[in-house]
Amino acid sequence: PALSIAVRAGFPRPAIQCSDLLLPPQGSGVSSVLTTLRYQSSQSTSFQPTYVPETSLSRPPWPEIKLPDSAEEAKHHAVVIQKVNNLIAAGHYGRLFAVVHFACRQWKVTNEDLILIENHLSAECGDRIRLEKVLLVGGDDFTLIGKPLLGRDLVRVEATIIEKTESWPKISMTFWKRHRFQRKKVTIRPQTVLRINTIEVAPCLL
Amino acid sequence: MTARGTPSRFLQSVLRNGVGRYVCQLQRLSLVFSKESPGSRGAREIVHENVDFFAFSASSNLLFVFAPSPPKKVNGAVKEEQINKKTAEEIAQLIQKMANQSGLEIIRIRKPFHTDNPSIQGQWHPFTNKRSVLNVASFERVKKTA
Repeated sequence: PALSIAVRAGFPRPAIQCSDLLLPPQGSGVSSVLTTLRYQSSQSTSFQPTYVPETSLSRPPWPEIKLPDSAEEAKHHAVVIQKVNNLIAAGHYGRLFAVVHFACRQWKVTNEDLILIENHLSAECGDRIRLEKVLLVGGDDFTLIGKPLLGRDLVRVEATIIEKTESWPKISMTFWKRHRFQRKKVTIRPQTVLRINTIEVAPCLL
Repeated sequence: MTARGTPSRFLQSVLRNGVGRYVCQLQRLSLVFSKESPGSRGAREIVHENVDFFAFSASSNLLFVFAPSPPKKVNGAVKEEQINKKTAEEIAQLIQKMANQSGLEIIRIRKPFHTDNPSIQGQWHPFTNKRSVLNVASFERVKKTA
């Protein structure tokens, strides 16, 4: 299902090993190349890597992160999901909160919240609506994150329209100095107030 | 920025309206009009022909009064509107608008949300969702020096 339990992921490994690029060229001219070749052959036949000081260029500054084994990770995930399912089934999650997408915004809501929408809604006052675009639901000990949305059978967020009113008269004034020009525009936008009634979760993660 | 000097309030509702059920906040509505003048024709039409509003008042806690007392909300707010020279439809829209409003002041609202429980999982701090090993400190070095 479209859902993931929050798991910390490691940094990706750097693509290029920088120490290979930092080898300086050996010798300058033709004769010196010959001499150095003879010198190197007489001294030692094995390749000697130059010394590269440990900087942020030779090695990434963060410690190397070992990603956990995928099979073990899957086992761990199954355990966690079972635990969360049991918590939901037993009702041990306390107060729930959710992030819902409504009216082109994301609202973090919990029960008995008020939200103000700066537009007209076609529903009447007293109507109960269901907010279906739920991005995230959280309780005391767990958080369910959608990828990007949580399923409709998993979460149910309901709201009541309690007020349909108008905004205060917003005045936008334009004034050009020395030009005898001024315009005054008063804007009143419709507003809707919603009361969040319930946030419910069903124990059906797997 | 220019609106900062204007009076403002936070988002609120009257008596936790909508938590259990929704209660229409318009309590009393009185229409003041003349029996003869042409400007009051819309109001007369509303009273004599439009029965919908009486059905509306029966379904809610609205009380129609035909005496000159201003319209009143549940929370005691009073608002007057001009109905002279308005058609019946315009007056009906006006009444619908006033029934939908809660009667709180129409001034600038500072935030578009209100919550009594701002945080459910606790406030974030640098150790949230970190391994609990970080909480354990070893005092070996302290012991050696002592």
